[in-house]
Amino acid sequence: MTTVAARAVGTEADRVEGLEKVTGRARYAFEHPIEDMVYAAPVPSVVARGEVIAVDVAEALTFPGVIDVLWHGNAPKLERVGNAELHVLQSPRVAYRGQYIAVVIAKTLEEAREAALRVGVEYAVERHDVGLRADHPRLYRPERVNPDLPADVQQGDPDTALAAAPVTVDAVYRTPAEHNNPMEPHATVARWDAEGLTLYDSTQGATSLRDAVAPLFGIEPSSVRVIAPHVGGGFGAKGEPHPPVVLAALAARRTGRPVKLAVTRQQMFSVTGYRTPTIQRVRLGAHPDGHLTAIVHDAVEQSSTIHEFAEQTTTPTRIMYAAPNRRTTHRLVRLDVPTPSWMRAPGEAPGMFALESAMDELAAACGLDPIELRIRNEPEVDPETGLPFSSRNLVACLRDGARRFGWADRDPAPGVRRRGRLLIGTGVAASTYPVYRSACQATARAEPGGIFTVRIAAADIGTGARTVLTQIAADVLRVPLGRVRVAIGDSALPRASLAGGSSGTASWGTAVTRACEALRDELDRRGGTPSTGVTVSVDTTEENGEPSRFARHAFGAQFAEVGVDRDTGEARVRRLLGVFAVGRVLNPKTARSQFIGGMTMGLSMALLEESVLDREFGDYLNHDLAQYHVAACADVPAVEAYWVEESDPHLNPMGSKGIGEIGIVGTAAAVANAVHHATGIRVRDLPIRLDKLLT
Amino acid sequence: MEFLRPASWAEALELKAEYPDAVPIQGGTDVMVEINFDLRRPARLLDLNPVAELSRWSTTGGVLRVGAGMTYTSLIRELSADLPGLAQASRTVGSPQIRNRGSVGGNLGAASPAGDSHPPLLAADAEIEVESRARGSRLIPATAFYQGVKRSALAPDELIRAFHVAPATGPQYFSKIGTRNAMVIAVCSFAIALHPRRRAVGTGIGSAAPTPRRAGAAEEYIAAELDWDSRAALDPRVVARFGELVAQAASPIDDVRGTADYRRHALGVLARRTLTWAWHEHMRERTTT
Amino acid sequence: MSIRVNFTVNGSAESVDGVWEGESLLYVLRERMGLPGSKNACEQGECGSCTVYLDGIPVCACLVAAGQVEGRSVRTVEGLADGDRLDPVQEAFLECGAVQCGFCTPGLIVACHDLLARNPAPGDAEIREALAGNLCRCTGYEKILDAVRLAAARRAPRP
Repeated sequence: MTTVAARAVGTEADRVEGLEKVTGRARYAFEHPIEDMVYAAPVPSVVARGEVIAVDVAEALTFPGVIDVLWHGNAPKLERVGNAELHVLQSPRVAYRGQYIAVVIAKTLEEAREAALRVGVEYAVERHDVGLRADHPRLYRPERVNPDLPADVQQGDPDTALAAAPVTVDAVYRTPAEHNNPMEPHATVARWDAEGLTLYDSTQGATSLRDAVAPLFGIEPSSVRVIAPHVGGGFGAKGEPHPPVVLAALAARRTGRPVKLAVTRQQMFSVTGYRTPTIQRVRLGAHPDGHLTAIVHDAVEQSSTIHEFAEQTTTPTRIMYAAPNRRTTHRLVRLDVPTPSWMRAPGEAPGMFALESAMDELAAACGLDPIELRIRNEPEVDPETGLPFSSRNLVACLRDGARRFGWADRDPAPGVRRRGRLLIGTGVAASTYPVYRSACQATARAEPGGIFTVRIAAADIGTGARTVLTQIAADVLRVPLGRVRVAIGDSALPRASLAGGSSGTASWGTAVTRACEALRDELDRRGGTPSTGVTVSVDTTEENGEPSRFARHAFGAQFAEVGVDRDTGEARVRRLLGVFAVGRVLNPKTARSQFIGGMTMGLSMALLEESVLDREFGDYLNHDLAQYHVAACADVPAVEAYWVEESDPHLNPMGSKGIGEIGIVGTAAAVANAVHHATGIRVRDLPIRLDKLLT
Repeated sequence: MEFLRPASWAEALELKAEYPDAVPIQGGTDVMVEINFDLRRPARLLDLNPVAELSRWSTTGGVLRVGAGMTYTSLIRELSADLPGLAQASRTVGSPQIRNRGSVGGNLGAASPAGDSHPPLLAADAEIEVESRARGSRLIPATAFYQGVKRSALAPDELIRAFHVAPATGPQYFSKIGTRNAMVIAVCSFAIALHPRRRAVGTGIGSAAPTPRRAGAAEEYIAAELDWDSRAALDPRVVARFGELVAQAASPIDDVRGTADYRRHALGVLARRTLTWAWHEHMRERTTT
Repeated sequence: MSIRVNFTVNGSAESVDGVWEGESLLYVLRERMGLPGSKNACEQGECGSCTVYLDGIPVCACLVAAGQVEGRSVRTVEGLADGDRLDPVQEAFLECGAVQCGFCTPGLIVACHDLLARNPAPGDAEIREALAGNLCRCTGYEKILDAVRLAAARRAPRP
């Protein structure tokens, strides 16, 4: 294992692309100037289930500026791939309201949009079913859950243990559909030429998007280039490929012109993924002293009829607490709804809301402090696999957080603290997120002038990846930051995994480290940089393939204080404090921002975010930012994030765990637990709307 | 589409007479959203920005005449003392960027039941001045202006020129409930105005009926119950009854932002709160004068 | 079927032809003038990503009809720096790490620039209120507040 002498790593280096961003010069997907460009406006389905019988494009084609209208009858044929969501305009079937039925291509956007309103679509409407219920007759067990985990896991005999347990909690928790809503809506500019397809796209992974799109068009991945130097946020929504990029490529193919397609904020609610709603039943059995004897966590979720996305809702429960008898399950129902996908900490975020709310209920049932309850159930080894943890500092996070937050003098009685018309309460919850890492390639090049360039098709969706990779490279090369350039965001660069699963820095950083080590060796061997420069390439497939003998997870503790207006039920978070154990923190400035950003999204999840499905029409009603509320500046009080020292040699050359998602895990439970402490009301279905807090 | 740019009010009326389908645009905070979202593509936009008089106010015979295009920001800056209820409501509209463009006239034109300026206009007995080339100008009491969800008494050839309202002679308060601390469409809202000289109370309810409306029975009840001459504190039973009557005046629905039951409950809370604030201020003023 | 709009952008007199009458100022800036600094993220004035100065007053460019800027003056994020010399607000955003994905950044910088011009030493509550119309999904706003405090501490922005 290489030890990197820290110089740049661990410092608060400024974001390397910050200057471009504060001056407005950074170019996002829709903003690349290309000659002869035309605009696409999609026509969405207005029914949730059925078949398109006829598409009348005659009127639209007479509109000035209109170049073409594509629908399933005339669209270029695509090859079949695994994800049927990407078979855009290939079939008359309608699987959900908002699905693309046709697209108008015109010289200007307003011409395309106006003509799109005039495309006549006739449907054979079928009765739709968009209602998720725990007793749905079509519930089934998926083969695997995201990313590739078993759907059900059982150890011991949880049913018998529950029946025998002196103290039990048995409760159902619900989380709503939520939409990622990165600030930049999805956008694509697609161009075909002699060399193939070029996509300027807002994506979390240039390589993976390239590899997904190429087979649809029956071409080699080398004939597709994805360019994405700057991405205006993703939070998972730009991870898996979605229909818009395919639609843009189809339109460009058909017209022979470069096509711009910007998904509107409203359309994002149908075609770019979302967090599935969940119905979760948690059963805990314990001794009166709080020691768990059984944990059962069952989740019910939805997916669309055309693609299975099975979220790993109960998987964090597999590793959190010691209990000899345990079961975690996932059941899915395929409804006439848009296809769910990744949203920041898919699985962990909703799953830990349920588990950590239930733990709070158990603490009350046992008359124990909720922190003490968690400490008593701290496992020696991973309860699921029996493997030792590479590092596990949940208890340290809880204790450090309790000290910083001022937990010691807390009166556990609910509903007794008043300040004016506010009821005040505090709550705690644990966080966790697994350590993932994927194989990548990278090159490192030395120029005679002492400048080094590292190339890897990584993505910076706002995380600070470009900056941290520069820090990593500089340290391995033992040069100042200013002499290293890191090129990312382009599939023409060495292939890389996508920004997802909080694995970016671990995956890309390993490849960057290995490339820079190899370059250093090469320069040593040559006795300096040759006049033509020198480039080395690495591939971490082999290193990444070695199975770990450890269970590897990040942990954290979240504390919340809330005030609830006892007359109106208005709940506001007064402060949030998180302490995390994430291995080595490579850049405290970007890391703190990731934690605080995640916690803020967790606050938003707790109090605001909810995509409301219209049962009658089958679409999400509140599909814009005036109605889908995310936390605004005025809603976010003091949010503090800290981390404990954690040295873990079993991760990667940097010693780091992922930090992009853990900040949102547990926040909603901490807030809900604080609301209970404030009011005595246990809200088990998010968000904690004001009308739920009136007795 | 045609973009009409009248240079004066007279010209604006001419254009509106000639093209009754022309959609007036002032701050654009409603009209542009509808166009951006493809909800409508009007045949003509009538830009009122160049009509400078619309963004000014004046006083005639002790009554304020406030131009329909005066932005919320200007109103807060210039009229907070005279129109405290409306100024409070204006502060809760959207964000600084929206308040820099949005206007009471635009709120009236859109006639959304959730518009923040409606309750204080109702509570303060405002009148809306509208005008057409054919029939000249007329004053419509705010109570008669709102006719349905996003429907008003404005005729197709008319434009909103101003609203008329007497400067406050007593305390005025506005309060609204939302899920966020800013950028909030009201779940429900309420405005109260005390008129000590005529011993009357005005109210306005927002977001809890198809149109903004007054709570007439609540007004009559509380005007009779208040002991205007003394400095007596409010009887909690009277405050509670006022809250009940206000809640009864609403006919709310369930929607994404809240349930009907919640709205009724919350309106009662807002009514009790704003009445208490207003009465305390009234007592303070009586004490100091 | 289209109009010409004459206005000043970042100090330079411009004339744009072929503008659709229902088009927003934001669209004109981004798609017709090569000034994509102001971002398009909600098209309804909820997110503030398109905030620009119109005659010195910050507004959402997505809600201003292009025809309404005739004869007026617009200043965008691209017009805040003085050549290579950044405005103090831009500097502070860089240093404090107030930038993540960068999509809300241009609008926020204009809104902060305006705040400090009106109020050189704002309190936290005033900052939160002034920035209430600028949504950020990455940062949790903490470092944006840091940036405003830092810029205020250094000096009021250039007019």
